[in-house]
Amino acid sequence: MYSLYFALRAFECLLASSLLLQTIEFLRLRGVQKSDALWSWEVQRGDLAHAPASIQRLFDWLYCERVHSLHLLLRMGAALSLYAGSSMVSASLLFLSTIVILIRWRGAFNGGSDFMTIVALTGLMIAHWSQLIVGPVMAWQAGLGYVAIQAMTSYFISGAIKLFSKEWRNGTALPYFLDGGLHGPLSPTSVFRRRAIAILCSWSFILWECAVPLVLIGPRFAAAYCVVALLFHFLVFVFFGLNRFVWAWVVNFPAIIYCATLV
Amino acid sequence: MVAAYFAFLLGSLVLRGREISGPWLYLLRSFFPNWRFYHGFGHQPRLFMRTLGDNRQWSDWQMFIPRAPFALAHLLHNPRNNLLLANQNLVDHLAFDIQALPEGHDVRKLVSYQMVTRAAREHLRAQGHEGRRWQFQIRQVPPLQVPVEDMAILISPELED
Repeated sequence: MYSLYFALRAFECLLASSLLLQTIEFLRLRGVQKSDALWSWEVQRGDLAHAPASIQRLFDWLYCERVHSLHLLLRMGAALSLYAGSSMVSASLLFLSTIVILIRWRGAFNGGSDFMTIVALTGLMIAHWSQLIVGPVMAWQAGLGYVAIQAMTSYFISGAIKLFSKEWRNGTALPYFLDGGLHGPLSPTSVFRRRAIAILCSWSFILWECAVPLVLIGPRFAAAYCVVALLFHFLVFVFFGLNRFVWAWVVNFPAIIYCATLV
Repeated sequence: MVAAYFAFLLGSLVLRGREISGPWLYLLRSFFPNWRFYHGFGHQPRLFMRTLGDNRQWSDWQMFIPRAPFALAHLLHNPRNNLLLANQNLVDHLAFDIQALPEGHDVRKLVSYQMVTRAAREHLRAQGHEGRRWQFQIRQVPPLQVPVEDMAILISPELED
């Protein structure tokens, strides 16, 4: 039986791994945030020109080299603590830390993976903060439910938007986007340049993504869907180099499977 | 209820409301995911650079597009490539900012312009073009077309390293 305890522990451990991986990358990237480098705060603080002076001073302090490094180390500690179990303190700290980091990268560092990390941390916050008014079982169900709904929404919208696109339906979009990928362009002889293969792949993605509501049929179907999702995210990594996407979405799988046991 | 929710999502894709924007919303946009991945079969903003040679002749425009070799180890640790993609996002944001810039405003005051200038300078230095005069250009390239100069939406003044 797929229990709530197993789901929340798997969720916490996967979230810890995803956050650790991200934080270690941020630590490695401190060099490009120095004052003479591309992501210098001296330039970027212009994004806060509209904010009150006190807020600007707060962010100046947060992003000075020493405080930023300490922040990242603290974040790493909080992420590691999730392996032993989350708390209201660790959930809140990681949530606030993520906001601070994303503002430092002008709102998003890695697009969708940032969105999904916020979703997972919001779910964790719901699970802990709602325990002030309801019992832990209902609180965790609410937290995991929020994460599952957001993850399912992400697949569904991503599929539906392709369904509405003529270029996706006729297979033109697939080689176009693959050519623009980090590891692109496709070779002139790539199978994805064959119209029939491109159409087949495009429709497979569209139908699979739009079929996400079916995960609620039951946990076995949900688990099978998540296995295909893992393969899908791995392929996105192979072609586009988006390693964070793999981890950010895998975090949600325990929540999706758990919610399938409830419906 | 589940069916109603997904029907609502479908409806929201067809009937889109007014987009809300603002400086704080921009910085906190990760809280409002749109989940529209790889849907935009539209114009792609691209960064081009050129340098002035010793013979006082400008080089051809060179396009910057983030590319890197694949390595399985990057699944666990990939800071350099993620940074390349983040830098490309700066070009996308500058292209958007240029089109949204009110009449009479100086593009050079935009944070995105200043950051793309630094990014272009970094690319040139990496290619050994230190100490030369240079320019960069942003082109909006329509899908499946070869980029040409007519597609430029911004040409920087001559810059010195």
